[in-house]
Amino acid sequence: MAELLLVEIGIALTGIALAGALANRIGLSVIPAYIIIGILIGPNEPSSIGGISLTLVEHREFIDVLAELGIIFLLFFLGLEFSVSQLLADRKRIAKIGSIDFLINFGLGLTLGVVFGYTLLETFFIAGIVYISSSAVITKSLIDNGWVANPESSPILGTLVFEDILIAIYLALLSAVALGEGTALDAAMSVGSAFAFLGVLTVVAWYGSEYVERAFDADSDELFLLRVLGITTLIAGAALTAGLSEAVAAFFVGTAFSGTDHTERIEDVVAPARDFFAAVFFFSIGLTTDITLLANVVWLLLAAILVTTAGKLVSGTLSGQVYGLDRIRSARVGFGMVPRGEFSLVIATLAASVGTGALGSVIPAFTVGYVLLMSILGTVLIQNSDPILDRVPLRLRKSTPE
Amino acid sequence: MTIYETEVPGVGHKFELELDGEERLIVLIHHDGKREVYRRPGENQDSQKLFSLTGKRARQLGSILEGAHFQPIEMDEIQVPLGEAIIEWVDIDSSSPLVGQTLRAANIREQTGVSIIAIQRAEKTIANPMPDTTIEADDILVTLGSRDEQQAFSELVETGSTDTSQA
Repeated sequence: MAELLLVEIGIALTGIALAGALANRIGLSVIPAYIIIGILIGPNEPSSIGGISLTLVEHREFIDVLAELGIIFLLFFLGLEFSVSQLLADRKRIAKIGSIDFLINFGLGLTLGVVFGYTLLETFFIAGIVYISSSAVITKSLIDNGWVANPESSPILGTLVFEDILIAIYLALLSAVALGEGTALDAAMSVGSAFAFLGVLTVVAWYGSEYVERAFDADSDELFLLRVLGITTLIAGAALTAGLSEAVAAFFVGTAFSGTDHTERIEDVVAPARDFFAAVFFFSIGLTTDITLLANVVWLLLAAILVTTAGKLVSGTLSGQVYGLDRIRSARVGFGMVPRGEFSLVIATLAASVGTGALGSVIPAFTVGYVLLMSILGTVLIQNSDPILDRVPLRLRKSTPE
Repeated sequence: MTIYETEVPGVGHKFELELDGEERLIVLIHHDGKREVYRRPGENQDSQKLFSLTGKRARQLGSILEGAHFQPIEMDEIQVPLGEAIIEWVDIDSSSPLVGQTLRAANIREQTGVSIIAIQRAEKTIANPMPDTTIEADDILVTLGSRDEQQAFSELVETGSTDTSQA
């Protein structure tokens, strides 16, 4: 049995590697590639091609554990890279553009859920899934297209900072409500305990950075890596045992490190581990996806893609104007915010773990379809924004320097 | 000249350096040490990527730019705060009346106001020459003085007097 498992894991990792290489070759994000390879060689449809079985990898607990670590370290790094200084330095504008982004896009998500007749909780899941942009896809696209050196990068990165805080609060709230027993009192209790736990973590993050600094002063990279992996996984696991969101706990552990001098070293030493776990996470999403379920949500998917792409274009353009950018650059902020990715999938995983009604079936499937299309569409839009903007009528013409 | 620094989450740090006018140089330092350098010609133009370097190469380039290996003397740019005074290099022609005189006898300071701060003679330089140094043909005198004083000195070198009324 063990040798069979090893071969499967080998096939899985090789498949991930090949998919990633292929995505890189054609200039697309690796995230959809990892998901697609998971769908292809996993146990769900398509499971055979011309009578030959395509089910090379069964869905196994081992992969689940790695995927869970992927979620934890995605959020850990989100907390680690969370720039409090940047937030404070530019708080007025970031608050403004973050609110615009949230009101428009989360609002559209709520509207979609209600129009398509989902329950309140399901609607809140859908709203979060379509609201949150993908830091990973966006920052990579910014660098690939050279926008990172242009003024439009400021509002894009500023909006992402705001979304990062919001996603932490949102996940904490949603997991408390979703995993609670259901009565209003229980929900309130679990929300309360969630925030108490996070409050403790925040205090530790805020005042304990000196202690963290000393505790993690390891000479060798090996020992350093083990310490960071150990403590992060332990705290996230403890949070999950206490009925809280392990992702949010990991986020706060990350913020505890962000105030120390270890940040650069973590970026160096721990990032490869994060990349590995995250790749397996996206792959496992593909494994568990039953694409036949997409038939049930095809209209929701189409509506979501149209409405939420337009939503980000509008909110991004407005954000660009808050920063005093010209029309072309403001429009680019809109294009830049379109890609959705890893965090939508984290929310979908939470939905699947609740597992009641649509949360356990169609919403995860919808999210996979949505993320696949939005991460690819977003990247393509960013790459082709200039030719697209050149075709837009006069009022978007490049302003000439005075 | 202002340098703007911003963090790019997940990537590293970005520095913007103001050049002349609206032009800017943008340096993106990745967490893995890679540097990318962009140039943005103007506010409404797009940044062009100039080059990218590994951390090691970037440090080498940086030390070259700093002048650690070779420090050129930028003649046009030389800015010594001397107030009104300027430094001139004056060739002494063999026909000059000053040839053969000591500095004391030529009484240059009294007559013109310039100070002789060095004499370049063939391959060597006599810095701070003594008053009994003799001026020879083909010397180059390095003098310090205001424009008017330098003008008077070049008269002296050519004619042996500073009286310009007869010219």
